[in-house]
Amino acid sequence: MTLSAGLSYASTWEAIMDIVARVTALRGDAPQPVVLSSLPELPPQELGGRTISVVQGPPGRNISLAIGLKAALPNVPLLLVMNADGITLGTNHLIHAARRNIGMTVLLLRSDVTQQADQHLDRMRWEVLGFQGALETTATPLEWAMALQAALVGRGTLEQPDDLAALISQAFDTPGFSLIGVTYASHLEMGVLSRTDYPEFFDSYRRWSASFRNLSDTAPKGVGVTVTPKTDIRRYEVRIVGLGGHGVKVAGTVLSEAAGIGEGLWATQRGEYGSATRGGLSMVDVVFGCERVSYPGADQPDLLVALSQNAIKLYGHTVKPGGYLVADPDQVDILPEGALPVPIVRIAREITDNPITAGVVSLGCVAALSGMVSLETIKEAVVKKVPFKVREKNIAALEAGYQATRQVM
Amino acid sequence: MPTPAFMHGNQAVAEGAIAAGCRFYAGYPITPSSEIAEILSERLPQVGGVFIQMEDEIASMAAIVGASLGGMKTATATSGPGFSLMQENLGFAVISEIPCVIINVQRVGPSTGLPTRAAQGDVMQARWGTHGDHPIIVLSPSSVQECFDLTVRAFNLAERFRTPVVLLSDAIVSTLREKLVIPDAADIAIINRTQPNVAPDDYKPYEFLQGDVAPLPKFGDGYRFHVTGLVHTELGYPTEDAEIISRWWEHMSSKIEDNLDAILDWEEIALDDAEVALVAYGGTARSALHAVSLAREQGIKLGMIKIRTIWPFPEQAIRDLAGRVGTIIVPELNFGQIRLEVERIVAGRAAVRGINRADGIQISPEHILDVVRGLERVP
Repeated sequence: MTLSAGLSYASTWEAIMDIVARVTALRGDAPQPVVLSSLPELPPQELGGRTISVVQGPPGRNISLAIGLKAALPNVPLLLVMNADGITLGTNHLIHAARRNIGMTVLLLRSDVTQQADQHLDRMRWEVLGFQGALETTATPLEWAMALQAALVGRGTLEQPDDLAALISQAFDTPGFSLIGVTYASHLEMGVLSRTDYPEFFDSYRRWSASFRNLSDTAPKGVGVTVTPKTDIRRYEVRIVGLGGHGVKVAGTVLSEAAGIGEGLWATQRGEYGSATRGGLSMVDVVFGCERVSYPGADQPDLLVALSQNAIKLYGHTVKPGGYLVADPDQVDILPEGALPVPIVRIAREITDNPITAGVVSLGCVAALSGMVSLETIKEAVVKKVPFKVREKNIAALEAGYQATRQVM
Repeated sequence: MPTPAFMHGNQAVAEGAIAAGCRFYAGYPITPSSEIAEILSERLPQVGGVFIQMEDEIASMAAIVGASLGGMKTATATSGPGFSLMQENLGFAVISEIPCVIINVQRVGPSTGLPTRAAQGDVMQARWGTHGDHPIIVLSPSSVQECFDLTVRAFNLAERFRTPVVLLSDAIVSTLREKLVIPDAADIAIINRTQPNVAPDDYKPYEFLQGDVAPLPKFGDGYRFHVTGLVHTELGYPTEDAEIISRWWEHMSSKIEDNLDAILDWEEIALDDAEVALVAYGGTARSALHAVSLAREQGIKLGMIKIRTIWPFPEQAIRDLAGRVGTIIVPELNFGQIRLEVERIVAGRAAVRGINRADGIQISPEHILDVVRGLERVP
């Protein structure tokens, strides 16, 4: 293309390399920019050579790639060269990089620049991309960037390469996201069109995160030394089945930690149940023993606590021979033969005024019947896992469940 | 001294990432992986790292490639729908040989599927999700301990072989709470990418080494080079020269194939006198392990291989197994993605059967035992 200033570029890349050279000359010893290009045209090796670092990333995605680069290289200016991809594939990324003011400078090459470069680069005019032609609103990315309060929004022309280079250099010095439209036109307003005083994202992030660094920066806190298991029982399965609002998941968390840490056993709490949890049921499986737990399901429980008729119907028959079935007589229609009746939900209501502690009451049954996890270790786990303001009531509920079970054993 | 802790699989992944030296995470939260992001958003700033929630998984994957190029160890975590979106930039990481770790906590698909239910349906997507032939490493944890250990290993392999590594977890393991032991930092082996010891002008960022990779300096820091998604020369410049491309393929393939000893990882359990063997991985391996224990109590000679490195696949181990047992059973939460691989390798030398479901419900040990017992009736 021939420019009025007498300049001529054989290709868009040659133009870009010329502009980058002018920027570098302007900035002296400042760190050289990394260029991210998503132009379909290849940067000629002889142009780029080893004078510059280039990422030729997937169209549109360079903006996101640059976010990562910025985190790793906070002091290196990032210059993104985009054309239509910047506001098609890249629009989503552009919006978020701009609104967060992440430090990078995007050069958006207008169609006149890329088309004039005689490389047939631009397969469409990005100002009007759709099939409705003149019926559509023209794309105005510079206005979008202003609306998003990007740090610097500007326009430059290849007709005045030194002014464009100065604008880019100014963008490098401006913390935050900059968008510069590059055109071949001369009738438009050039230079800085908008500036927003806005903190640079990764700097502000670092300031914010610095407050965390006074905290422990090591692995999670130790939870005590494993004690030798006091049992030779290899595997003991507990299943507690209630309704939503019975607090059975919390009970599982407390029990698994009591067994795994307090008693020094191997222990698991299964988290994902699939549709095995049906009919509004809420269920937790805890398995523990002196052997590492293979399968974390309590498919054949040594102890089943049932807080609804549906629980009996679905799982009553799965209890291991010699195992225990604890059923809440107020919640079931028919008490199965051999079941231990413990009014768990009533106890929860009486002591804490809330059925949510039914799960913790159930742990009293586990303490009384399992012979493997003691009331004391469950209390310690309650102290660790239950919020302070309801701790006393939960411990009272646990003890009441324990006593009620002892009475029916 | 080593610290015993009690946590769920996702937390162990997050702690493993910190221990491995991960200092940049970009992601978009999705069930059942969200806890990884939640925990790292707190833990990374504590160790001077950066956490950023991106606009989507396409951007997340691009950002971890960018930060890794800048010298950081990086990761993202997602589930099936997000993993699908990541494939474009995952391919960019493969071809530009940029180390990074992608954690996919599998749920039932396709599409939104069953968001909270466990599955293992992404085994083939992890291998072939991005287009074109390519090497990849995929690891699969089956316990909370392995969530920690294999996350560390994923970073080590990524750094060692300049490749993305996928940690293929699942909703069984990610939500399971159990005890693990976190070793002292000094006892955790950490591998870092090597740095060039030549002058910048002599550095070849993509040297076509047989069974090895070139050093990778921090981008924009003295060593200037070209990074592209196009097939490239040893200097990183695009090429269409068939001779160069063939040498490039040889390098890409051999960096994995020549190092199988360092990459493959499986465990043999009760195989000495086994007549039937299970091949299992991920959350399903727990059911298989229990089935072996129940079978042995009943005098049934059942053993198993638990696979921890899924891709590349432990072909020789499976080939050897075919000579030792009459039947191989592959339980998995999909319709036979690993079973087909086993059948291909066994090539008729042993009977191969699958136990498959993808309805969000775990395969129970009893189910596996029923199939094993059934073999006696139906030879």
